[in-house]
Amino acid sequence: MLGYLVRRLAYGGLTVVGVLLLLFVLFFTVTDPDDIARKAIGERAKPEVYVQWKKNHGYDRPLFLNREHGAASAARYTDTLLFEHFRRMLTFDFGRSDADDTPIGKRLREGAGPSLSLTVPLFVLGLMIGVTIALFVAFFRETYIDRAMLVVCMLAMSVAGLLYIIGGQYLAGMLLRWFPISGFDPEASVVARFLALPVLVGLVSGFGADVRLYRTVFIEEMNRDYVRTARAKGCGDARVMIGHVLRNALIPILTNVVVAIPFLFTGALLLESFFGIPGLGSLTVEAIQGNDFATLRTMVYLGALLFIAGQLLTDISYALADPRVRLS
Amino acid sequence: MRCAIVAAVCGLLALAGCTNNPYPDADDHRKVLYSSFVEAPRTLDPAVAYTTAEHIVTANVFDTLLEYHYLRRPFELIPGLATGIPEAVTKADGSQSYRFKLRDGVMYHPDPCFTLNGQGQRARKTVAADVAFQLTRLVDPAVNSPAASTFADVLGVSEFTKRLSEMRKADPQFAALPPHVQYERAGRVAGIAVDGELDLEIVLAKPNPQILYWFAMPFTTPMPWEAVAYYDGNEGRANLGDQAVGTGPFRLATYAKQHRFTLERFADWYGHRPGSAPAPGAVFPADISPADVKAGVIDPAYAGRPMPFLERIVFTREREGIPRFNKMLQGYYDDGGIIKESFDAIIKDDQLSPEMVARGMRLDKEVEPTIFYVGFNMDDPVLGHSAGEKGRKLRQAMSIAVDVPEYLRLFLNGRGEPAQSPLPPAIFGYDKDYKNPFRQPDIARGRALLEEAGYKNGIDPATQQPLKLSFDTGNTTAQALLQYEFMVGAWRQLGLDVRVNATTYNQFQQKVRQGAYQIFQWGWIADFPDPENFLFILICENSRTKSQGANTANFCDPEFDALYREMKSLPNTDQRYQIIRRMVAILERERPWIELFHNESYTLNHAWLVNAKPMGISYPAYKYKDVKPKLRTEMRADWNTPVRWPLYLLALLIAAATWPAVRTYQRERS
Repeated sequence: MLGYLVRRLAYGGLTVVGVLLLLFVLFFTVTDPDDIARKAIGERAKPEVYVQWKKNHGYDRPLFLNREHGAASAARYTDTLLFEHFRRMLTFDFGRSDADDTPIGKRLREGAGPSLSLTVPLFVLGLMIGVTIALFVAFFRETYIDRAMLVVCMLAMSVAGLLYIIGGQYLAGMLLRWFPISGFDPEASVVARFLALPVLVGLVSGFGADVRLYRTVFIEEMNRDYVRTARAKGCGDARVMIGHVLRNALIPILTNVVVAIPFLFTGALLLESFFGIPGLGSLTVEAIQGNDFATLRTMVYLGALLFIAGQLLTDISYALADPRVRLS
Repeated sequence: MRCAIVAAVCGLLALAGCTNNPYPDADDHRKVLYSSFVEAPRTLDPAVAYTTAEHIVTANVFDTLLEYHYLRRPFELIPGLATGIPEAVTKADGSQSYRFKLRDGVMYHPDPCFTLNGQGQRARKTVAADVAFQLTRLVDPAVNSPAASTFADVLGVSEFTKRLSEMRKADPQFAALPPHVQYERAGRVAGIAVDGELDLEIVLAKPNPQILYWFAMPFTTPMPWEAVAYYDGNEGRANLGDQAVGTGPFRLATYAKQHRFTLERFADWYGHRPGSAPAPGAVFPADISPADVKAGVIDPAYAGRPMPFLERIVFTREREGIPRFNKMLQGYYDDGGIIKESFDAIIKDDQLSPEMVARGMRLDKEVEPTIFYVGFNMDDPVLGHSAGEKGRKLRQAMSIAVDVPEYLRLFLNGRGEPAQSPLPPAIFGYDKDYKNPFRQPDIARGRALLEEAGYKNGIDPATQQPLKLSFDTGNTTAQALLQYEFMVGAWRQLGLDVRVNATTYNQFQQKVRQGAYQIFQWGWIADFPDPENFLFILICENSRTKSQGANTANFCDPEFDALYREMKSLPNTDQRYQIIRRMVAILERERPWIELFHNESYTLNHAWLVNAKPMGISYPAYKYKDVKPKLRTEMRADWNTPVRWPLYLLALLIAAATWPAVRTYQRERS
């Protein structure tokens, strides 16, 4: 197990280096720091303002080799954009936003709360509802309930996420007046009002695929010998379904679920953006729209790190959920 | 099963208690104004802040030495923090000075930055040196203020900036000092003189009467040196751009700039301090026009009352137009614009629809001091100066072909006034009876002009093909491309082959820098209500290729430039008016621009919002506005009663659909 973990961590490390190199090529060699400066402070500033801005944001160094330092000096290689890029990312010193000079770390801390307040309920409720409906449908397989749910799930999967958002805002916010159309307020007395609709929309748009997947897994398990044995021994339906089927179906469910956990931190791009929730998803959209390269490469890097973490967590959870799985 | 039923009942109860009110119930009966913004402010540093979103904070948190009269049109300056409007005094050397006297006892909003002055207080009095410090910041190249070029006219500015830049370059330790120390060591700007605590003299190297308008903008607000030194972004302290330490009627209470910010009434504002004489900008004006009263814009009962009236202003970010508009209709924003998608439902025959009138809505329309235009690059050999009469006729032909009323109808729901010259209404020099002969759509006349230019039926004699021209843009959105295509279609009727070259904004800027463009579309929103602020865009000195100035058309006409210089230094007299009309006549003939339209704002206001007169220029004067919370609460409740029957119906449908299966299961098991 330990050896496997070390090997996976090493693979993860290599992937991180690859991601950082790719980010460097995209953000520093394809995009000219002069262009970034012009976008940030406008076209008509004096040359010295551009120079100062590039210095403040660390864009004033050469890409790979700093010939201002002697051949023997380490600074020849460390006082470069490439080294600085790696140093900042690996030490989580993300610097300041290109758009408004705000420290990116501060933005991440401020955005994590609203993002988690949306994604955690969405994740937990989505899992509970998906598993419950899938168990129910699997139990009534090949009946009209199963067939009706198939239609409902296919419909849910076929409609674009954006339509759910706009439709949800119109229906539940405008016509039925159940929830605020959009917005966010961390104030405890009102925060639930703002989260109800995006969570509901997220649940409706996501449940179709989950239910179909879990149903397949449950039905596969329900056909196994141990289920027949359990029934023969007199176990009731509830005990068979929850105590045996659900427990043994955990591995494929975990694959689907654990990989998503790290991404709870990065927020939900569309939901946050359309519902005006100031989370990390919104931050990413803002960075794209506002040419904020520093924030964007931070978010891409964190996304890659979280993906690697998710993969690792999935593998570990396999072993924990099923002792028969050997990772060696 | 029991658990499912309990969960369903709990869910239903939770939904039954829900509401779409986005605000805490406790605020229902308070004088809170709710508004929205689209783009997050980049900075609140008043030396740099320039956008609408930034001004809704800076214009309310920072007092200015002068202000605009809230009700009078054309716009008129009144004293703000200054005790009067200074007169220009011309000196023997041709320089001109303005002497301001500040009101005594004006206090800053309490802030931790004031602990830096060592007196152990969290606020202090405003002094003239604070205005001098801010004016110096405006010309500091490191601040990069949009107002720097205007204040470059102040005596000694170029010498000061040269000294400052050299000292910074020579000594990195000097460059790291707080700005006020740097300015002291570099020696003050000769034309900014502080006399005692409250007197300030500004000396301009050459006359510039328009400079007074800049003292009605937050750029020139008093700025405490402590705020600049303290909020340097180091050691966990915020950036100056995220703070607002002002003297205004409202103070910045919360600032999550990507999401929401709130302003709260400043209890110690100079306008309502006991014992101080009421300043013109501290009491609601008494000279209310009957037209404003009749239109329901102004409540005459407010005349002479001390301001501000609101306790708090909450600005929430709404990036998407549809949710913003719908929340306004629900009563959760007190005012707002009209989105294109709902325009036809809200406006009937250019008036509010009966449904909106029944809801107590009020529509305020105002032509804004803006100009949107298509420009020709006058450096271009085909279209520009060097093409002589041929180029002039070509520009005239292209100008006469563009049908702006149709353009406005198609793309802007008719919200705009077709422009005849760069000058919009409410700006001195505008002539409402003037009709530019090259702005009245006439394709036949356009073809004739084109023939006179030597391009019969649009054919270029050199190639025997339709004359090829390029319309360059950095806007690649579908909507913008349709708008450009409208114009290209008009020119196609003349036989011209104009191609839209839509590139990235960066590439377009590169083209502009290099002068590699022929036709472009641009707009201008006035900084202040004076014709100079429109006509300066076309003087040779501001040519884009020569000076990177605002004259992107690179128009150069010595007569126009001479008239501009004369007009600039004159007050609004008949003589100035006649000069402006001569300048407009030159533009009519030369056609460096095809003037398209002046934007017209349509603002919807709820019945409970009082004294919301549109200002046109970026001057959100919330101290004049008020709300009636009781009326608002009643109307909101009336409009927002939740519709719950679909919820019960849905629950019933699910129960009905699953019940047979459950019954069958129970029968099988029993």
